[in-house]
Formats: sequence, structure tokens, C-alpha cells
Amino acid sequence: MATTTAPAGVTSQARRAPRGTWSRLRRRGSQAAFFAAVLVVWIGVRRLDLLPELALPDPVAVAGEFADLVTTAAYWTAIGETLRSAVFGLGAAILVGVPVGLVLGTYPLADRSTRVVVEVGRSFPVIAVLPVLLLVLGANLQTKGTVVFLACVFPLIIQAQYGARSLSAAIEETVRSYRIPRLLRFRKVVLPAAAPSVMTGLRLTSTMAVLVSIGVEILTPVPGIGGEIVQGQLDGNSPVAYAYILTASVIGYSINQLSQVSEARLLAWRPPADLDD
Amino acid sequence: MTTSTVRAAALQLWLPVLVVAALFVATANSGSYYFPPLTEVLAALVDAFVGGGLLDDLLFSMRNVLVGLAIAIVVGVGLGVVIGESDRLRVACQPFLDLMRSTPMVAFVPVFILTFGIGSAPKVLLIAIGATWPILWNTIAGVHGISPAVRESVRSYRIPAGLRLRKVLLPGASPQIFAGIRISLAVSLVLMIVSEIYGSPNGLGNFVLVAGNSFRVTDTWAGTILIGVIGYLMTLVLIAVEHRVLGWARQRPPRERRAAGARVPAGKVAA
Repeated sequence: MATTTAPAGVTSQARRAPRGTWSRLRRRGSQAAFFAAVLVVWIGVRRLDLLPELALPDPVAVAGEFADLVTTAAYWTAIGETLRSAVFGLGAAILVGVPVGLVLGTYPLADRSTRVVVEVGRSFPVIAVLPVLLLVLGANLQTKGTVVFLACVFPLIIQAQYGARSLSAAIEETVRSYRIPRLLRFRKVVLPAAAPSVMTGLRLTSTMAVLVSIGVEILTPVPGIGGEIVQGQLDGNSPVAYAYILTASVIGYSINQLSQVSEARLLAWRPPADLDD
Repeated sequence: MTTSTVRAAALQLWLPVLVVAALFVATANSGSYYFPPLTEVLAALVDAFVGGGLLDDLLFSMRNVLVGLAIAIVVGVGLGVVIGESDRLRVACQPFLDLMRSTPMVAFVPVFILTFGIGSAPKVLLIAIGATWPILWNTIAGVHGISPAVRESVRSYRIPAGLRLRKVLLPGASPQIFAGIRISLAVSLVLMIVSEIYGSPNGLGNFVLVAGNSFRVTDTWAGTILIGVIGYLMTLVLIAVEHRVLGWARQRPPRERRAAGARVPAGKVAA
């Protein structure tokens, strides 16, 4: 709790997270200043006409359009359409991916046998199955949900697998020597051990689900946020397109914050798993 | 030694082989219009390569991805080192970078293509922009995560900036930079496909789209499988490069990240 006497500009001395109200205020201030700087650059690019207006509309026009859109029913319908398929696809992916991943991660033999298949699944750019799905299912909610499912299921398997695998050898030995029954072991040992990693997977895939939904809507006539972006752009009305893109960012941002908070709550008993890899 | 590597390979490969074999058998006498026999799909793939111009599509797509990714690596690592080195800058742009994290880059596909046309340049630009972010985030985290002890030593020996960049910052951050590049590769592939399906005279995405629209089911499957193979191969190449470059990192004991002090894990900023 010692107060920092060195100015914050001195780099490596001010490495610990700022705690007091004053430093928090300063941090917020610098963050607001950064946003302001981004806005100024944006307006500058617009005023100097460095990019066509269709590519980068005036931020004021975007804000105005945003304010107008929020009061329309079409806006909320589009959001609903996007979220619906994202929730369906993600839900199915969770139901399949998490149990499969946990089981695979628990048994080393299964773990290693499935590695290549899972890796291929993960590295596949899922949106590429869209033309095939359009042939088989047609342009509808099912197609959108299926693409979301395929995009989310492999990351979830991998995260669950990783979590179950991370069980320490000491715990493994203990469980074995006490001959803990399989189901009990699964419920009380594997599941809690894998929980942080699974939560990370959920956080990653929940934003991914929305993103994939929007991607499908851009490429097909299925309604949703993506469709509105395309329509705005086709009408030559780029502020509308940007207002919807902004909406998508806000949705993603909120999902991320929400899952971080719930993750912190649910896993208060241990630190969150690392984001990297 | 060799028998154990053979056994390890066998353990990893029996299931993929089985899956492919099962697909062959399951579709062999398939009368279904939508799921043609795998042999026919592969034949269509070869045909498309020999006479259908698929090779040109492949080269077009690969070039866009590689150029875009190269730009993203240069920009992402460059900016990441600068931001990661300055605590002030890092804290200031954190919320902005978080917002960008949740901005879907695919949403910019119609914006760019309807403005700048269906050629190669807008696609490269899209891929470059989309792929920059993951590399940028990870470089910042990697540079910031270098242990304070190392920083102090660098400072006390007054290591010049160029040497510090080459011998301390870049190697220190490289594991995370590579993790970022891997994410960026996935992003690039998605942007490549989406931009080509949205509007393009050629490319793999266009091949699949045209085949699908004209109900050439075997060609559609062939293109889709090719895209999957390309995606996996590029990942494998990247992993090989990573092992090459990061060989040293695996021989040393891992850096003490958490014990080293104040680095808050990226997932815990909420507080």
C-alpha cells in the first residue's frame, strides 16, 4: 500500500497495477483521451477525404444513424435474428463439445488418437462449408446454426480436453489409490479441474458464435445484422452499415465482459486460465 | 527410439485414416445427390486442377493470404513492441483494443468490396487489417510479460535500443507472437473465403460458390475439402517454423510469469 513517489512515466518502476482512486482516475482519463484521439484521426481522414465516404463515413453521421436505428423495430429484429442462431449453434456445440473434450482429455490413449482429427477440425475455415450447406439445407436458420455449431465445437473440445489433461499427476495417483468410482471422479475431480479452461472456451466461442452468424448473414439472404450491413452498403448509406458494425462490436464486448464477470464469480476459488493458446 | 516414434505416429494416425476410410466406404455406393462418393469427389478435384483452372484459384487465394499476413506481422509486431514497452500507452489503449477484439472483421467485407472493387488489393487489405489485431494483442502481452529482472539488467548494462529489441524484446515475446500469428492465420483464412464468396472473379471461395450455385455438387465438395487441406497444411507449416524458431524456449525452464509481479492475466481485467 506504499504510495508511489516516482512519476508514472518512469517505466519499469510503475509496473504494478495502480490502486488508488487518483491513479484510477488518471488511467480512465488516458483511456478517454485515447478514444478521443482515435475519433480525431477518424474525423481528420473524413475531412481530408483520404478514403471514399462509402468506406469510412463521418463518425457524427454514424452516431446520428445509430440513435435513429435504436428506436426502430427492424434494428431489434436484426439483433434478435443474429443472436437466436448464435445461441442455438453455441448451445449445441456446448452440449457436444464439452463432454466429448472432457472424456477425450481424461484418457491419454483417446487424447492422442483424436489429436489430428481435432486439429484438422479446428484449422478448417468453417465458413467454407457454407456453399455445401446451402446446397443441402438451403438458406435458412438451420444453415446458420450449423455453421455456428461447426465453428464453436472444435475450440470447445480442445479447451475441455486441455482442462481435463491438466490434472496433476499427484491428484491422479491419489484418485487411483483411493479407488474413487469413475462417476464421482468425473464430477468431483475432472470437472472442477477443467472448469477454468472450459470457461475460457465458452468466452472465446460465445463471441465467435455471434461473429460467425454475422458472416453467414453477409453471404446469404438469411436476415440479421450482417444482412443489414450489406443492405446499408448497397444503398450507398455507409453510416447505416457502420452503425450495425458498431452494434456488433458492442454485443461482442458485452458478451465478453459478462462472461468475464461470471467466470470470476464461478471460479472465485481459483485463478482464471490463461488466454494464450 | 525409432520404434517409439513409429508407435507414437501410429497412435495419432489410426483414427484419421479410419475416418477417411469410413467416408470412402460409407459414400461408395451413395445414391444421394448431396453426398456423392468420395472417389468421385477426389476425381473432380484432380479434374479441376488439370483442366478447370483450380490451380489459378489456389494461387490467387494463397497469395492474398500470405501478403496480408506478412503485412499484419510487420505492423502488429512493430506496434505491439512500442505499446508493450510503454505502460502509459498500453493502459490508455486497452479499452480500444478490447473493443476491436469484439468487432467482427467479416462485417467489413461488404464495406471494402463494395467500395474498392472485387480485385485482389481490397482482399489483401482486409486480411492485413483483420490479422493485425491478434498479433498486436499478443505482442503487447508478450513484451509486457518479460520479467522485470531482465528489464532491470538491460537497463543497468545500458544495452542500446537496437540490441535490446533484437536480443531481448523480440525473443522474449516470440512465444506469444507465434500464438498470435496462429490465431491470425485462422482469421486470414476466414476473411479470404468470405471476401471471395462475397465478390471475386477467382479464388477458392469463388470456385466453391460457383460450383454450388450451378449445382455441381462433387466440385463443391472437392473445393471444400481442398480448403480444409490448405488450412491444415498452413497450420502445420507455421507450427514447424515455430518449433524451429522457438527450439530454445523449450529447452529452458519456463519464465516465471506470475511470480514476476504485477502482470494481470488478460482475462482478469474486470476488477
